[in-house]
Amino acid sequence: MAVSIHVPRVNNNDDEVKLISLRVAVGDSITRGHLIAEVETDKAIVEVEAPNDGFVLGVLGSVDDTLTVGSILLWLGERPDEPVPSLKAPSAPSSQGAVGQPTAKARQLLKEHNLEASAVPASGNRLTAEDVERYINSRNQRASASQTRPAEMPPEVEGQLRDLRSEERGMLATVTWHRDVAVAGYIELEYDPAPWEIYAKAFTEKHKLLLNPLLSLMSWRLVTLAQQSPILNATIVGNQRYEYSAVNLGFTVQAGETLYLTVIRHAEALDEIGFVNAMGDVQRRAAVHKLGPLEIQGTTISFSSMARWKVSRHIPILPPRTAIMIAHAVSTDGRSVLGASYDHRVLNGSHVVTVLRKLSKPKDRE
Amino acid sequence: MITKETMDLNQQAIENVVKQKIVEIAGQLGEDASELQNDDIIPATGLIDSAGLLELIAWYEDFYQIRLAQEEITIDNLGTLSTMAEFVLRKKGLV
Repeated sequence: MAVSIHVPRVNNNDDEVKLISLRVAVGDSITRGHLIAEVETDKAIVEVEAPNDGFVLGVLGSVDDTLTVGSILLWLGERPDEPVPSLKAPSAPSSQGAVGQPTAKARQLLKEHNLEASAVPASGNRLTAEDVERYINSRNQRASASQTRPAEMPPEVEGQLRDLRSEERGMLATVTWHRDVAVAGYIELEYDPAPWEIYAKAFTEKHKLLLNPLLSLMSWRLVTLAQQSPILNATIVGNQRYEYSAVNLGFTVQAGETLYLTVIRHAEALDEIGFVNAMGDVQRRAAVHKLGPLEIQGTTISFSSMARWKVSRHIPILPPRTAIMIAHAVSTDGRSVLGASYDHRVLNGSHVVTVLRKLSKPKDRE
Repeated sequence: MITKETMDLNQQAIENVVKQKIVEIAGQLGEDASELQNDDIIPATGLIDSAGLLELIAWYEDFYQIRLAQEEITIDNLGTLSTMAEFVLRKKGLV
């Protein structure tokens, strides 16, 4: 059966990318991992690789085209003579058809949201609940962004209207989700950083690390807390709470002018040093803008630190479809603060204070 | 200006180029790293923070065209200018 390969998300804030190279043509036989194409935004380039072996049946983009994230880029078949399921324009929503059967969870979500499976792009051979979530989220963002366009009439004071860049449009959509969908709250507490510093120092010496693992260790602590309390790793779907099966830990990385929300997927499957190494690896590649699409999407819970900037407080915008984002800060006078933006539809103040208190010290100091 | 094409692959030359990069990164943070010695433990000097170290390592991989496994990013391998230079030479089979 033919499978579709979709245009990846390069940056959390970009809904469109530019196709800058195409390495295959119709009829080519390619193997899993083969470089298919490269796409870019203003700040980053991502390579698209074949998810499995196959023959290129159809390509729905040309070099220099601007493509919509999630639209079909290419069809891959088991045989070179397989029919191509669809070759409509890549930006048309109707072309984003799923090719595999939906999973049970995906079917449930489709039903709840009155969606047709053919309208939702699949990331693999089957349409998953995550695909449906991503589609709903993207649709909500587009709807929210369209509701917040500047008023028809400009202000009375003289000025000029400028078009937003794609990443600016994406940020507008994200903050609009935070404002219009989540019921966002913020709580913070000061904490004594000494136990964490002692723990991180011992960990550094034990593993002879070059990079300070403190923030990775605190993020790992958040992963373990999310495992213990699934409500932290959840969102609202309709009138129900949707608890994610995986803990996909999002962590903000500023690379030049680009702010990435890097994602360690299935973080709960790693051990502590495995997680610290995974964080180091993804941060290193973020620094040179070489992240894969799965490393910048699908976060279910997240952590952000502005300790480097010595601010006393920052109130982060919640990544869409998540319940909590931790905000770490250290002010110039050495005051250490842990805060959290949270979706009050999912969590109450007691949940948040509890997680912040637990997070304020390593597990061995509980 | 030294580029990937014109660089020398010997101990002293690598130490000098890496030091230049550290001076540049430290300068962005308002620190002067010009007195950094070859055997100084770079993270312990406080001249560059974790994000700066990350930038240094990403540049080091790219400039010398070596692929680092996360497990190789240790004090023993990359803690000083001397060990960073030795590591490049070892990775390229030059020692």
